[in-house]
Amino acid sequence: MSSNLLNANLASDEEDDDDFVEEEEEARPEKRQKRDAREDDDDEEDENEDDALKSSRRDRSGGKSNGADEDDDIEDLEEDDDEDDDDDDDDDDDDEGPRGQRGHQRRVHNPFIDTMAEVDEDDEDAEEDDDDMEIGDFLAPREEEESLRGAAIDDRFHRELDRRNQVNLAQDAETIAASYRDRYGKQQRHRLGDSSGATPKRLLLPSVNDPSIWGVKCKPGKEKEAVFAIMKKLQDMKGTRNALSIISVLERGQSMQGFIYVEARRQADVLTALTNIPNVYARSGMILVPVDEMPDLLRVQKRAEITPGTFVRFKRGKYQGDLAQVENVENSGQVLRVRVVPRIDYSAKDDSSTMVDATGKRKRLMSTIKPPQRLFSESEAKKYHAKDLSPPSYSGGRTIYTYMAETYEDGYLVKDVRMTALQTENVNPKLEEVTRFANSGDGNESLDLQALSQSLKASTDKYAPYQPGDMVEVYAGEQAGMVGKVIRVRADIVSMNVQEGPLKGKDIDVPFKGLRKKFKAGDHVKVMGGSRYRDEVGMVVKITDDRVTFLSDLSMQEITVFSRDLREASDSGGMGAATGKYDLWDLVQLNATTVACVIKIDRESLKVLDQDGVTRTLLPSQIAAKIPPRRNNAVATDRNGSEIRTEDTVKEIAGGENRSGVIQHLYRGYAFIHSKELQGETGGIFVARTTNLATMIAKGGRVASSGPDLSKMPEMMKKPGGNMAPPIIIRQGGRDRILGQTVHIRQGPYKGLLGIVKDATDVTARIELHSKNKTITLDKTKLGFKEGSTGRILSYAEFVQPKKGFGGAPSHSSSGGNTGGSGWSGSRTPAGNSGWAGSRTPSGAHGASGGSRTPAWAGGGDGGRTPAWASGSKTPAYNDGSRTSDPYRDGSRTSNPYRDGSRTSDPYRGSDNDGSRTSYGQTVGSGGRTPAWNPGNRTPYHGPGESAPRDSGSAWDSGSKTPARSLTSINDQWNDSYHGNSSNTARTPAAYNATSPEFSGGYSAATPGASGASAPTPGGLNPPTPAPVSAPTPRANVGPWDAPTPGGPVSAATPGASGGDSRRGNYYDAPTPQVGGYSSAKTPGANWGNDDDDDAPGYN
Amino acid sequence: MASANPEYKWRAVPPNHFRYLRACMVCAIVLTMDEFSRKGCPNCHPVLDYISSQDLVQECTSPIYEGCVSIDKPTESWIAKWLRLDKYVPGVYATKVVGELPEEALDNLRAENIEYIARDGSENNLE
Repeated sequence: MSSNLLNANLASDEEDDDDFVEEEEEARPEKRQKRDAREDDDDEEDENEDDALKSSRRDRSGGKSNGADEDDDIEDLEEDDDEDDDDDDDDDDDDEGPRGQRGHQRRVHNPFIDTMAEVDEDDEDAEEDDDDMEIGDFLAPREEEESLRGAAIDDRFHRELDRRNQVNLAQDAETIAASYRDRYGKQQRHRLGDSSGATPKRLLLPSVNDPSIWGVKCKPGKEKEAVFAIMKKLQDMKGTRNALSIISVLERGQSMQGFIYVEARRQADVLTALTNIPNVYARSGMILVPVDEMPDLLRVQKRAEITPGTFVRFKRGKYQGDLAQVENVENSGQVLRVRVVPRIDYSAKDDSSTMVDATGKRKRLMSTIKPPQRLFSESEAKKYHAKDLSPPSYSGGRTIYTYMAETYEDGYLVKDVRMTALQTENVNPKLEEVTRFANSGDGNESLDLQALSQSLKASTDKYAPYQPGDMVEVYAGEQAGMVGKVIRVRADIVSMNVQEGPLKGKDIDVPFKGLRKKFKAGDHVKVMGGSRYRDEVGMVVKITDDRVTFLSDLSMQEITVFSRDLREASDSGGMGAATGKYDLWDLVQLNATTVACVIKIDRESLKVLDQDGVTRTLLPSQIAAKIPPRRNNAVATDRNGSEIRTEDTVKEIAGGENRSGVIQHLYRGYAFIHSKELQGETGGIFVARTTNLATMIAKGGRVASSGPDLSKMPEMMKKPGGNMAPPIIIRQGGRDRILGQTVHIRQGPYKGLLGIVKDATDVTARIELHSKNKTITLDKTKLGFKEGSTGRILSYAEFVQPKKGFGGAPSHSSSGGNTGGSGWSGSRTPAGNSGWAGSRTPSGAHGASGGSRTPAWAGGGDGGRTPAWASGSKTPAYNDGSRTSDPYRDGSRTSNPYRDGSRTSDPYRGSDNDGSRTSYGQTVGSGGRTPAWNPGNRTPYHGPGESAPRDSGSAWDSGSKTPARSLTSINDQWNDSYHGNSSNTARTPAAYNATSPEFSGGYSAATPGASGASAPTPGGLNPPTPAPVSAPTPRANVGPWDAPTPGGPVSAATPGASGGDSRRGNYYDAPTPQVGGYSSAKTPGANWGNDDDDDAPGYN
Repeated sequence: MASANPEYKWRAVPPNHFRYLRACMVCAIVLTMDEFSRKGCPNCHPVLDYISSQDLVQECTSPIYEGCVSIDKPTESWIAKWLRLDKYVPGVYATKVVGELPEEALDNLRAENIEYIARDGSENNLE
């Protein structure tokens, strides 16, 4: 500290202070002023070496109890109350009484001698530094003092002396002060502005004599509170015994969170002061701030100044993130008037004023949907809210509208915004944004580069803007105009080798600030970052300051960017590497919803065809990712529902131009197809929805299923009896039925395991094993499907086919080898099926028929089957039977004997209740029953046919005849049907015909079976059929016996109907023929029994 | 150096009143708005008469400031010296006050021959 300066300041201080004192002294003597005054006195004395002063001084000091100025100083430091001393010094006259007291008090506080000693140690150096002159002066008084000390001090005496001296002093002081005022008058201000205002900071640097600063931990965020709390404590304790001796407490808010700093002489003082201060953890240790770091602690950085023209960003609200330009700074920088491109939704908000309740909601709504940035449009505003639009006013060449209580100048919204709502640092405006503000005024580009660069200056670059080898130009600072090549970059200092001018060849260091890249027209440049033109490459055509305009190689457009965003593009450089990541026909992801196929690769760009069929030219940087080709896993379905995969050849069917080609990629519902014929701009690639495609050639000969393959059927039919490999099952389009099924694996290493079908193609299925956490792919034919109702294991073919309504297969298998074959054939051709079925039934039926078939039925797998089962075989059958019995009734009535017969078969009746039993019962009662049977069966027939002949035989005949007759000779047909020709005939008449022969053979039962096929028509006939089928029927008959209604026959048809398909009917009937079995009959019982055993479970 | 305003006595500010705190742009003292307007600035009082002009308080004090220092012994404190607060009354001061003194106030200071030291950190930028 320079004593001169200080003294000078102090001297002038004196003047002010004295004035002050004069004004205020009476009311409130303030120690500090006075003390200053005293100090000033000292200084004056020193400087002028005024003897008078010296003597007075001496006197004063002598008169004072302590007798030393140093003491006073020390006491000032040590005590909080030093008013007393000051009073002693200055206000000799006024405070006689109190002074004595205070003097005493002080002595009590600081026993004189001790204080002396302490002070000398502490402060001597400092004093000496400042007051070399004084030392000499004081030495003498000190000695004097010593001598005086022993004697008793008479206050009064001293005071008188003082007063006298004071008068002299005052006179002298006045003159001195006047001279000082002349010399330093201009510094009078320092009462306010500070004595050290003009002192350079470097002279204020802390020395070891300054108090130390300790850092103390505190609760983050509570620093300010702590500082205020300590201040309060300081004030509260002031003047008490426990006055705190800390000097100041500092808090640095954000920059040093969690710490407060206490300035004090001793660490113990800090501890004392901080006890009981909440949120301050003094005991957890404190850090002494090194002297050389103290200035850093107090360093404040001025924020980038906000001046009109600066760019800022909105932090929140509708304009969040939008760039705004400062128009004006108001209210001492707390409010900024900014210009922003408005986001107005002219059409909305109409009812917000009317709907009071919904106002809040509406507001929120509006804020969530951000209208696009658009300059204010008068016409739009008029259109919607004419009343809210004030007529334009013109000022300074600007058109100003007021609309909805907002002001719009030349289309921009002008708004007062609080500084806190704006982001002023790291604004980093993009040129595109900035240009929106550029064409204000008369259309001239008035881009305020100054403002822009200012905004940019503060922005921290995420990438190193300069790299060795860049040509740079210094545009600001001492070295402005220097052009050189960057040698290296360290932090934000660039070392450059000067290429031009007097310093050529020299290396100089330049900070980033004031440096910009230099380009020449014709340079090939690439945009590096910061701009949306990133990675654009082009040739420089124009350079204006730090804006460079170049002609893009890609779009042939002129693009203007900041030179800082540019870099010279080396032709040989790794530019191609970017595009090298992609190959022709790669599938790439453009954004979350868009994919595209690369159709052309340029040096710097890619041409892609996106899923909407749009061709775009992109920079590699604009491609989000490459979609790796999946190993043929992508599957889609074509128009026909059959699966298509990549590399299949497909043809556009709907909506397109009938193009065909090979699928390159499948993505969701889109296929990227390469067509050889189609060349041109897309390079032969076109996009189509898979639903518009039809498979032409599936890769690898995969079966392209486009529908049932009819060609195979005849073959099957030709060999009804032959064992043949199951044909390729053709799956119709749509979901594969086997998905989600639990399957048995019947072949291969996993044989015997269970699994669930997760995915399926035409021929294979992915199966997740139950036993192992594994999914395997297997041929569908290796799978066994569990039949829902029976638990039987069906082959894939069986599982899938029944859909078409074939129940045969299983039944056949049970009945005989042939049947299997026939079943197949039947299944294929519905038409023929019936025939087949019909034919079969008779053929193989007898033995197993009833039982076996029925299950077969079930196995048939149609939804209908089960019910069919129920209806047909079990209940309905019975019912039907019973119904059919209606005819019986007729018959029965007519032929009472039936009853007898029935009676004979009373057991049947009992069995009627239980289908199975009945049959058993039948078997049981075989002996007597058989006849019973016959009659039973026959009777009905007879019944319907003719009124009950009592003879069973006759009945038979009659019954049989009836149908037979109706249908006449059909033996041939039978045969035909048998052989498969029957298809036509089978159903209707054929069956009947068939029956007829049977009749002849005594198979009356069969007939009805056949009739079943033809269903209703022969109804009369049919009724019996079911009956026979379920052996019970007769019993049913028995039950219903009494019921006279002959309508029954009709109902009889029903059973057939219940089956739905005529085939079923056939089957149904088929069993009936089993009745035929009766004919062979003698052992029907046995048959029955067998049947039941084999297949009847279903029945039961 | 004593308070320019004898009425001034430092009063504790409860934490919930912190938001009313403002810093004088001339001397950086931190007081509540209310105190400024009722008692004036203890350091700047006669020059900037906050008591008589509410607007002046608005213009010459700023709610945006950084760093609080409670200075109890300004003359001794190095911090006070460094921040050039050593001639002011004890109290809480800000290390940085953001804001710009209006022209009239500057004129006032100039008329009183007081050199205004900006407290917004610009001083450091000079170094």
